[in-house]
Amino acid sequence: MAESIPELGNPIAHDEEVVVIVGSGAGGGTVAYELSQRGIPCVVLEAGPWLKPEDYENDEWAAFNQMAWLDNRTASGPYRVATDFPNLPAWIVKAVGGSTTHWSGATPRFRDYEFRTRSHYGVVEGANLLDWPITLADLAPYYDRAEKAIGSTHRHGRPALPANNNYKVFANGAEKVGYKFYATGPYGTNAEPYDGRPASIQDGFNFQGDKSTAKWSTAVREVPRAIATGRCELRPSSQAVQVTHDARGRADAVLYLDAEGNLHRQAAKVVCVAGNSIESPRLLLMSASSLHPDGLANSSGQVGRNYMRHTTGSVYARFDQPVRMYRGETMAGIIADEARLDTSRGFAGGYYMETLSLGPAFLAAFVEPGSWGPEFTEVMAAYESTAGLWIVGEDLPQESNRVTLNPALQDQWGLPAPDVHFEDHPNDVAMREHGYGRADMLYEAVGALGTHHTPPYPATHNLGTCRMSERPEDGVVDQWGQAHDVPGLYVSDGSVMTTGAAANPTLTIVALAIRQAEHIAEQLGTGA
Amino acid sequence: MPETPALAPAVRTNLVRLLRAAYPHPSFPDGPYERTADHILGQLDESLWHRIALTSGLESLDASAQRSRGTAFADLDDDAALALLRGIADAEFFAFIRGVTVVTLYNDHEVWDLLGYEGESYSKGGYLHRGFDDLDWLPSPRVEEYDGPERLVEVAPDDVPATTSTTGGR
Repeated sequence: MAESIPELGNPIAHDEEVVVIVGSGAGGGTVAYELSQRGIPCVVLEAGPWLKPEDYENDEWAAFNQMAWLDNRTASGPYRVATDFPNLPAWIVKAVGGSTTHWSGATPRFRDYEFRTRSHYGVVEGANLLDWPITLADLAPYYDRAEKAIGSTHRHGRPALPANNNYKVFANGAEKVGYKFYATGPYGTNAEPYDGRPASIQDGFNFQGDKSTAKWSTAVREVPRAIATGRCELRPSSQAVQVTHDARGRADAVLYLDAEGNLHRQAAKVVCVAGNSIESPRLLLMSASSLHPDGLANSSGQVGRNYMRHTTGSVYARFDQPVRMYRGETMAGIIADEARLDTSRGFAGGYYMETLSLGPAFLAAFVEPGSWGPEFTEVMAAYESTAGLWIVGEDLPQESNRVTLNPALQDQWGLPAPDVHFEDHPNDVAMREHGYGRADMLYEAVGALGTHHTPPYPATHNLGTCRMSERPEDGVVDQWGQAHDVPGLYVSDGSVMTTGAAANPTLTIVALAIRQAEHIAEQLGTGA
Repeated sequence: MPETPALAPAVRTNLVRLLRAAYPHPSFPDGPYERTADHILGQLDESLWHRIALTSGLESLDASAQRSRGTAFADLDDDAALALLRGIADAEFFAFIRGVTVVTLYNDHEVWDLLGYEGESYSKGGYLHRGFDDLDWLPSPRVEEYDGPERLVEVAPDDVPATTSTTGGR
């Protein structure tokens, strides 16, 4: 009886061997839903609390302090984030739903060539390129299912969202410079009621959680539905400490801390690590054992390496008439014309342009960190007449861009904090400059008085640190996300991406997780 | 906690003047700057070092103003105050002030009003019927994806690998 299921699900004994999923975001939440629907018992360990839509704060700083992952971390390397935000390499969420709680909603698919960058880009000095072990054709049916789960606009009969003010500027500029492939989506927020959730009321808050639930997240869809099967127990405020293995090397349990700091062991027949691309490698590195002295599943030496954060930048343009970019869906505007491979532009890979709006509080903090004086207040004073967009494109994997354990810093539990080391590849720099230039042209075509080029924010897209590879020596996991060298250990988040493509990653993480769950269910069904 | 002596009134006056010079918004009244100054001063109780650095930093601005202009820092005009601040831009006390100001001044609701930001809207039904699409100085653009004759060329002809066939060919 559904009514008898407790809020966090039917309890599962700690010594019962189940599928243990670390993280409840796009990857972990989806795996929990897919497995529990098939009758497979799951325990979901989520480091953060279960915030409900009524808890979300529609105020930038209040929401940030409520849900951002603010445990100790460091940023290092020559990139500017390490200077401006040395303890905030990434802006991701610590709550049930993970970063789907604050994701914007853009859901483009990866392109065919983006699964085979080594073949297409050739040898690029300094880049650790590798073809994925799967192709777009392999993933296409799962993209369909992911788009239906999310309710992406413009797909499978879902209508488009209307044009908001920021999009009107963006799309008119796009048209004037000759772009064709622009629209208000695909976008993971309902334009009309769908799947039990309402249509957007254009309330302007995405990065703070969507109180209306028009936006898809695993916190409003997959996690509660997994619990409703009666076969999934959610344990919020549970910090994973180690994944352990048995004498034969098979993953057999997860050690974790509860909210009071008590250590528990949950027995596992399968472990799915889905803590995002900083926490997942951190957990594997913390799980070193005599069999795996350099970190669990790290015989390739690739755990934590090839960290990608997308090549990003923002452009804010000032006009002589009001825009009020903050009204409405934040990122319901996508231009795909530059998301292609054409090295005559001076770089490999492609990028999207997507509408973006920040409130004055965040714009002040991020538009030009450290800036002050009249050149800064000129940007802020124009707030009401400002339009904004985000450049998001493929960055190249580099072995030295890397998540490691910081020996000099610990988190609140005494566990080593992660350090995120990053340096742009020259290809990334060239792409960003191209994007800034195209955005200037776009806005100037509709009368911009001036534009400001904003540097990358703390990363919202964190990828590649447990990458998928055909050969065990090239990466951490196989085409199903299972560790090459630890049976029963899967990675279920954006860490597995061999390369990052141009597209926002959430849709692909969900598609990969659906595919992985199907594989795990088959394996368990055959007793493998 | 041991008692710390109260800050001299000139500290707050100079700090408000500094904020106006560093973050010049002619349309802003004194209120937001004063609230930001008070917020900065409120944080000094938590850090003796910031208290020392800020107090001596503001005193040094006064001394510089006296030396170069023969007047108190608070009495400098905007350009002169800005020039003085440019000279100490890297000073620790000024970095501290900026770090707090950028997250305080622009989080002030009066400032939101002055900048034309309306903030939270969920409780009012969102902006759906309150102007989310009221921009009228540009035509209404297409919201659907392009369905004309052109196709996006995912891989330029020169970038097709010589040794492999790719989808889209033939």
